[in-house]
Parts: sequence; C-alpha cells; structure tokens
Amino acid sequence: MTGECDMRYWANCKWVKKMTEISKRKKTRNQNSDANTCLDSYEPIPKTIEEVTKRLNEVFSDCSDFMQRKISCGKYGMISILVAYFDGFVDKRVLNQDVIRPILDVFSNTELHECPGLYDRLKEYVVINNDIDDAEDMGQAVDGIVSGDAVLFIEGEDRALVIGVKAPQGRQVEEPDTETSIRGAREGFVENLLTNTTLIRKRIKNPNLKLEMMQLGEQTRTEVCVCYIKGIADDNIVRDVKERLKKLKTDAVLDTGIIEQHITDNRLSLFPMVGNSEKCDKLAGKLLEGRVAILCDGTPYVLTVPYLFIESIQVTDDYYDHAFFATFMRLLRLIALLFSNMLPGLYVALVSFHHTVIPFKLLITLAASRQGIPFSPIVEAALMIVVFELLREAGVRMPKPIGQALSIVGAIVLGEASVSAGITSNLMVIIVATTAVCSFIVPPLIRATMLLRFAFLAAANFLGFLGILFVAVAVFIHLCRQRSFGIPYMTPFSPLTTSVLRDSFVVVPFWAMVTGRGHQKYAGGASKQNTGR
Amino acid sequence: MVMCRKGKKGYGIFLVLFFIFPVLLTGCWNNRDLTEMNFVAGMGLDRTEEGKVLMTVQVVEPAAIISEAKAQSAQPKPVIVKSYEGETIFEAIRGILFNFDKKLFFSTAQVLILGERLSQDDIEKILDFFQRDHEINYRMDILVAKDATPEEILEVESDQDPIEAMYIKGTVENTDARGTVKRTMLIDLIKDIGSSGKQLAIGQISKEGEKEVKTEGLAVFKDGKLAGWLGPYETRGYLLVINQIQSAIVNVTKDKDKVAMEIIKSKGRIDVAFRNSEPSKLIVKVEVQANVGEYEGRGKLESPGNLHNLEKILKEEIKKEIKMAMNKIQKEYSSDIFGFGEHMRKHQPQYWKKVKKDWNDTFSDLPVEIQVDARINRIGSVKDPVKKVE
Repeated sequence: MTGECDMRYWANCKWVKKMTEISKRKKTRNQNSDANTCLDSYEPIPKTIEEVTKRLNEVFSDCSDFMQRKISCGKYGMISILVAYFDGFVDKRVLNQDVIRPILDVFSNTELHECPGLYDRLKEYVVINNDIDDAEDMGQAVDGIVSGDAVLFIEGEDRALVIGVKAPQGRQVEEPDTETSIRGAREGFVENLLTNTTLIRKRIKNPNLKLEMMQLGEQTRTEVCVCYIKGIADDNIVRDVKERLKKLKTDAVLDTGIIEQHITDNRLSLFPMVGNSEKCDKLAGKLLEGRVAILCDGTPYVLTVPYLFIESIQVTDDYYDHAFFATFMRLLRLIALLFSNMLPGLYVALVSFHHTVIPFKLLITLAASRQGIPFSPIVEAALMIVVFELLREAGVRMPKPIGQALSIVGAIVLGEASVSAGITSNLMVIIVATTAVCSFIVPPLIRATMLLRFAFLAAANFLGFLGILFVAVAVFIHLCRQRSFGIPYMTPFSPLTTSVLRDSFVVVPFWAMVTGRGHQKYAGGASKQNTGR
Repeated sequence: MVMCRKGKKGYGIFLVLFFIFPVLLTGCWNNRDLTEMNFVAGMGLDRTEEGKVLMTVQVVEPAAIISEAKAQSAQPKPVIVKSYEGETIFEAIRGILFNFDKKLFFSTAQVLILGERLSQDDIEKILDFFQRDHEINYRMDILVAKDATPEEILEVESDQDPIEAMYIKGTVENTDARGTVKRTMLIDLIKDIGSSGKQLAIGQISKEGEKEVKTEGLAVFKDGKLAGWLGPYETRGYLLVINQIQSAIVNVTKDKDKVAMEIIKSKGRIDVAFRNSEPSKLIVKVEVQANVGEYEGRGKLESPGNLHNLEKILKEEIKKEIKMAMNKIQKEYSSDIFGFGEHMRKHQPQYWKKVKKDWNDTFSDLPVEIQVDARINRIGSVKDPVKKVE
C-alpha cells in the first residue's frame, strides 16, 4: 500500500521504531517457543512408524485429545499402520467401519513382508471412505489432523493418507434470530462451513456456482470460502476479493466480522461497506445479483460484497410481496432511517430556535410540557438517549430470563418516573421512544445512526435547522465519496443508474425487475470502474 | 459542481464556502428555550390623551391551558392581560416587562387590535414598528375596535376558547362563510399602504356584553386616518367588489316570500371608463353563482322561468348592496378603498400622475355603473320540499 519512500519516512519516526522493535521481539519469542512444535512446511514424513510416532508426540505434546492407534497387519504383524486423529473431532464409528475394519479384514491374514503397492492398494480399494487425499509432507499431515481428518501413516512410506471422517458438529439448521421475515425460507446458516455451502448449493443448482476455499489466520487456520456465480459476478471484483483475503495477515479469524474489518474499503467509516447475512435465500439472491460472498467456518454470518447503501433498506420480503406494499415499506424504512438520525435534533432545533414555525396551539402544548423541566432541551435529550442506549445494551448482554425485569424497569424509569419526577417532559419520552423504535427498523445502519444522532443533536443545539443541514450535507458527501469494491456506495442515485432505480425506494414487481443475464443490481458500467483500492 | 472539477483544492474551498456562507447569511438566531419566554397571543394599541402609546398584551400561561383540559380544579387564569404606557411602541414592549418574569415572544401574536383614538391619528406611522421588527408575524389579523378600547376587548373572558385572542381570530376567520367583516392580515395592510392608489380598510370589532366580542363591519381610512364605519351589509357590498367574498347568504323577496340565497362563487372586478382622456365613470362588474338555500313560501321554484326570475331578483339585491356601499364611501368618506386608483396607475399611468394628489375628490364625483351577473346553480337537494299545496 505504501511505497518504499513512505516506509523510510515512517521509519524515522521514533515511535514507529519502537513499535517495530516490539513486534520483532515478539516474533523471535514466538519462534523460540515454537521450535519443537513448529513444523517446516516441507518436512518429510519419516519412513518408520517409530519416528512418526515420536515426531507426532513432539508436535502434539500436551494434547490430551490426540489419539494414535497402531495397527499391525500381515500374518506376522510385519506391517505397521498408524492412525492419528483428534478424539471427538472424527466420527469414530465411521473411522472404524470404513477404515480400520477393511484394513484388518484385508490384511490380517495376508502374507506381506514389504509390499511396495500397499499404499496404493489401501487408497484405491481398501479404505471405503470417499474423502481421501495424500499428504506429501509432515505439514500436510498435521494440517489434516488438526482440521479433523484421520491420517494413516504406513511403515516404509514417506506419504500419508488423509481421510475425511469428520464428525458432524454444531447445531441444526434453524431460523435465524437476527433476520426474521414473514415470508420466505426459514433456514439460516450455521457455524459449520460445509453445511452452509450445501445450503447455498441447494438453492443454486448450477456448476457456475464457484466455492473457492482458503485458510486464514496463522493460529486458527480457519477455512474461508469465496463464493460467487461465474458469469454473473464481475471477474474484477472476484479477483479483488481474493487478493484482499490473501493480503490479510492475522493470527485469528473467529468470525466474518474480523474479515470484514480487514477487507472493507474505508476502515474508518461508520457505514457498512460489507454486507452480512444469516439467511440462505437472501444470500442466494445476492449471489444472483452478481455479488461475491465470503463464508467462514465457525460463524453463521456470511459476508457479501460489494455492499451498497440502498441494501440496508432492502429486505427479502420486499421481493416476495406485492410491489406496492413493498414500495410503501421501503419508504417507511427510509423515513425511519431519517427519524432515528434526526428526530431528537429536530426537536431541539424546534424548541430552542425555530419557535415561529410551530403552530401556535402546538407551541403552547410544547411550552406547557417543558414547563418546570430543569434541563435545557439538549441535556434532556442526551440524557434520555443515553438511558435508552444503556437499557438496550443491558438487554443484549443480560441472560434471557432476566430480560423481563429489565423491560419493566425500563418502562417505569423511562416512561413514568422520569416524567412525574419532572426531569424530562412527556414529549421528550415520545421523541426518544420513536427514535428508538425507528432505529431498530434499519439494523445494518444501527451503529452509524447511534453516533450520528448525537452529532445531529449537538449541531441542532448550536445552529438549529442550519446545523442539522450541515451535518446532513457532510454525511451525504461522505456517503457519495465511498466505494465498496470499486462500486460507488450510493449507486443507483450517485452515479444515477436508471436501470437499477427499479429496486431502490421504489420496488417494481419482480417480473419487471429481472432483466437479461442475471440482474446485476450494481451494474451501470461497474465493470469499467477501477476496482483496485 | 463547477468547483469540483478543479480538483481536490477547489473541492475543499467549495466545501468551506458552503459551510461558512449560510452561517453569515442567516439573520437573527439565538438559542432560547421555550421555558424562557412568554407567548403573546394578542396585542392592543391605543393612544392616551397625552399622545402616548398605550400597549396592551395578552400573554398565555401554557400550563394553565393544559391543566384546564385535564381537570377542573383551581388553576391560574390561562391568559394575563397587561397594559403599559410608553412614548414609542418599542419602549412600551420593553417597559411592560416590569410585570413579567420572562421576555415576551411576539411571533405568536394572533390579533392586533387598534384603538379608535389611535386610528383617528395616523396608523401608517404606527405600523412602522411592525414592519421593522423581525419577531412580528405578518399573518397576524388586524382589527379596529369600535366603542371600546383594545384593552377592554382583550380582557373579555370568553367561554369558547381559553385564549381570548384565538377566539377573536376564530370570529374573524369565519367571515368566509358570512362575508360581513373584512379580514385584514398585517401583510395585506402593508401591501395596501405601499400602493398609492388604494386607501386602507380594516375589519371592525366591538364588545358584545361581558363575555363576547362582535366582528362585523369595516373601518374606512382616509390617508391613514379613520374616516368612518361601514355596517355589515355595506361591508358585504364592498367585499363583493374587491373580490373577497367566498360565501355569503343574501336574502331576497319573491312574491312576498323570503328566499335565502347562498353565494357559492363570486368574482368582482373594477374598471374605469375614459372619455376624452378623462375618466367618465367607474365600472364595477360582479359575477355571482348562488344556490337556493331556503324558500319560505308555498310556490314552486323548479321551472326555468321561476329561476330566471329569481336570478333577476338576486341581481337587483346584490346591486343594491353594492350601491349602498359605494354611496357611503364616495359621498360620506370620499376614500378610494376599492383601489380604482391602483387600477388607473396600472392602466393609465400618465393620467394617474396628474390626478394622484386629489384622486379621492375625483373618485367621489364620478358616476358608478354596476353590472351584476347572477346565476343560480341548484335549488337544494330536493326538487321541492314536502309542503301542503294550497
């Protein structure tokens, strides 16, 4: 990202030097401690079983769940075969039935001294399991073991067989909690990557659906899968995604959230530049729109790129329902978005600056409700918003059974007590409650709105409507400058892409929306755009 | 956008200007909480005998109004009326604060009542403050008090609305259903002052008992001074001419039976006829569409002949009303509140320059031709209501 010239400049800064020293020290320490267990990536597999056992014991020292089983074959037990795996990670029954038993059946009575063809015989017609692979060196073998495969070492061979007998793990496919819909599939992704890819394949039965696997995270070696439909997804974007993933240097990938933070275009922006979803049908739709999905083992959240602003108010129900209704809901969501950002600010601007625009009778009501409140409107608003955010956060963190107590406290504290104690006005409770309700309607933007709300509030207290206008303009400029994987964030509004406007604030019926090959929602000369960072 | 093309620097400058200019361009703004102000609902202005300004304000007590709606317990009065004498209006506005805890907020003022004594003085001069001040609502209704001081009118405690000024405003607003008082907003008045060929005319308000007011009639001004009053029917005639009638009920007599006609659409126009480059007569054209609202008689109305007959009667009735207004204004007050002068200024600017000075005298001497065109649209929801035929 930075040229050599810049690097030299940075190197001069004192603190940068310090930082690099620290990181160097860290690296050397890591190397020291890993001396025994760390494998050279091309360390050959020892030919004798004893040595293999010794090496494995070194690598997996203090791993109580590491299992080795030695099988002696041949009439006189001449040939030793070692099966290594992690207990609980592999399906033992499958391992016994498909691997061990055939080996014992076939070889127990055979007169074998040294059989050169033993390895190939094992691979081709003894082991029943389909998922079978070669490990050419120790590194591959260990990789196989840690990712839940059983590895077969054979006396006198410098190769090993990696057999996929992973036990099915994790929960069943369930309806996702975060994205509920009235219509549409109830299936949501789970933590298991293979289950997830199957769920996608089930929906798009097409060889053009590509799933490219890679491993990320130096410590965790998490399986990450890039998924797209060849021919619909833009090749440049696919290449860009893969490049960014390869550049990603991190110890751990525990969730797609970590990947998202690394590959997002503008790491400082509050607005999401990478989408995520738990719903299978939604993801299938996104893939069909030419987007690229990133799946990660261990999390049900799947990333989609490029992500546009308009996607935050799109919901799968929109496409399954009547278009007029969907349009109405879209507009409603847009209003909710504006409200959740600006409503407290607008209120403060109205009661502190623009008394003249309020109708007389409403003004009297406002004044009456504000009478006797000891705080200025902004303090009152900020106080109530903070109290609400506290309640919300508590509701997320606390164990579910206590939730009810919280809602009672919240309702009483927020609604009743604060008003009757004369700390806040009735109207402020209404405003904050409306804002809160609205902020849940557009979940992808919740973190942006939560912070922008305070910006609008402060600006409104400082300059009234003018301040709100300023912040709004600044936010719009920011939004229009962003790109997600080369696609302008505000497509289809800026740049105006009329063909895509059919699915913006207005939703046309689905039969009128799908045009030509696929339906690239972000099209409009997108492929000509520079997709590089 | 032009700036944007000049690259990053131009873009930055554009942004900075975009954010700075509006701050400099906006007028008065200051952060003032609702609880820090007293809302003025109505204002009254009069002159004292010594020539000072007598300012009356009606201030709303918001909490009292809300609690009144909630419970009928002992509560403070919803409005407070206070007066103050000052040399100027502005001084009076500030001086009146000796009685109030918070600053007054005038944008909420709904009505401005002008006293009779003040009106006999020059109201054009008084209105200077209302144009100059930024806090005045230009849509405020203005009325002239007859046989009562503005203070007395603002002190009326109506049962209909806790805020007395809102009650007065309501009575003025409903003139579009009856057409017997002229609704004058501050902005209209300022416009009329600005046009040289039109004299001022403001609606009239008077006290009716202890608890009510009456808005009917018109105060006619000449050169800013009160010249006299018009009654409700004359006012209606005047409003028909200046095209400000939306709806009104006109009673006519048909074969000794009374018929109430509801005007549903009316269009009035004025013109001045010229002969030998001298104005020969004033022309008033009024087109009226009406419905039969009530017929206190046993005859039948449905036949076209009957209706044509009725149209003729209506025409005469309206003509009579207009003539009454014209006569009084021309002969008694000799003040051109119709705006014939304004019409002349637009269409005969050369001639207007000559007669501008004493146009009111010329106006009073000119004969008037009144052309009324009346049409009856409907006779009600039934052809003929059920009655015993004689």
